[in-house]
Amino acid sequence: MSELEQYLKDHKPVVKDDPTFLLEAQRRMDAVSGIKGEVDRQRRHGRRALIIALCAGLFLGVAVSAIAFFYPVNPESVGQGILDSLRLFLQSYKEYLLLPTALIAIALALVLFRNKRGSAWGAL
Amino acid sequence: MTRERFIDLVRAEQEPLRRFLLGLCCGDDALADDIAQDALVRAYVASGNFLGLSKFSTWLFRIAYNCYIDHCRKPGREHAALESREALAVPSGDASDSRFRYQQLYQALERIPEKEKVAIVLFYFEDKSIKEISAILDMPAGTVKYHLSSGRGHLKQYIQL
Repeated sequence: MSELEQYLKDHKPVVKDDPTFLLEAQRRMDAVSGIKGEVDRQRRHGRRALIIALCAGLFLGVAVSAIAFFYPVNPESVGQGILDSLRLFLQSYKEYLLLPTALIAIALALVLFRNKRGSAWGAL
Repeated sequence: MTRERFIDLVRAEQEPLRRFLLGLCCGDDALADDIAQDALVRAYVASGNFLGLSKFSTWLFRIAYNCYIDHCRKPGREHAALESREALAVPSGDASDSRFRYQQLYQALERIPEKEKVAIVLFYFEDKSIKEISAILDMPAGTVKYHLSSGRGHLKQYIQL
């Protein structure tokens, strides 16, 4: 260890013993408890909305993949409507449908895992 | 996290937190404690986001550092800091010996760049590892090492050993 490093180690700042510090901090925490409640409420709402959106995405992805794989469309027999075009599109790219569905499933698992950890912290 | 749990964790971390900010504020203990209070309030409001993925102290120090940066960016801070340093430079009462002992160190810390100062304070005063400093400052470990080395080089110019 160099002389400078030893000097720095020997000159660690010393804080004054202040018993009012934590009391003052608690007083300020009480003052913002309303804000904290609102922040927590918004966070819960946001997380719930995210989980609902991911579940809906997963359900839709699985349903569309199932239709594309188990009910193939014959390109000769479809019409020109929007629904028929969509069925034809899904038929052409059905092998790529699983990728976003899998990504949604992974994202949902991560969110649920984080939620569980968050609840565990809350219980401590 | 419940309020009681948060206060328990803060009780264990309050002294290192105040010392960290005292180092950053170059000995201005009133300012350091004010920033520490601000950091604790911010941490309390955001405590629902803390999932225990890092150490509580790392998370808290990061918030405290952000509060310090916010303070540094406030307009009129230079003038207030100068007045504060002038007040510190006049030793009085029981605190005079202690202040004199640290005067050279604080004056040297004040002259070096912020990133170097915070790396020096965390590494030598708080005994944080490079990995923890890297997480607190949100910079790669190599950059932390560079700031430490550069900070030591600058401090050597200002501290007479």
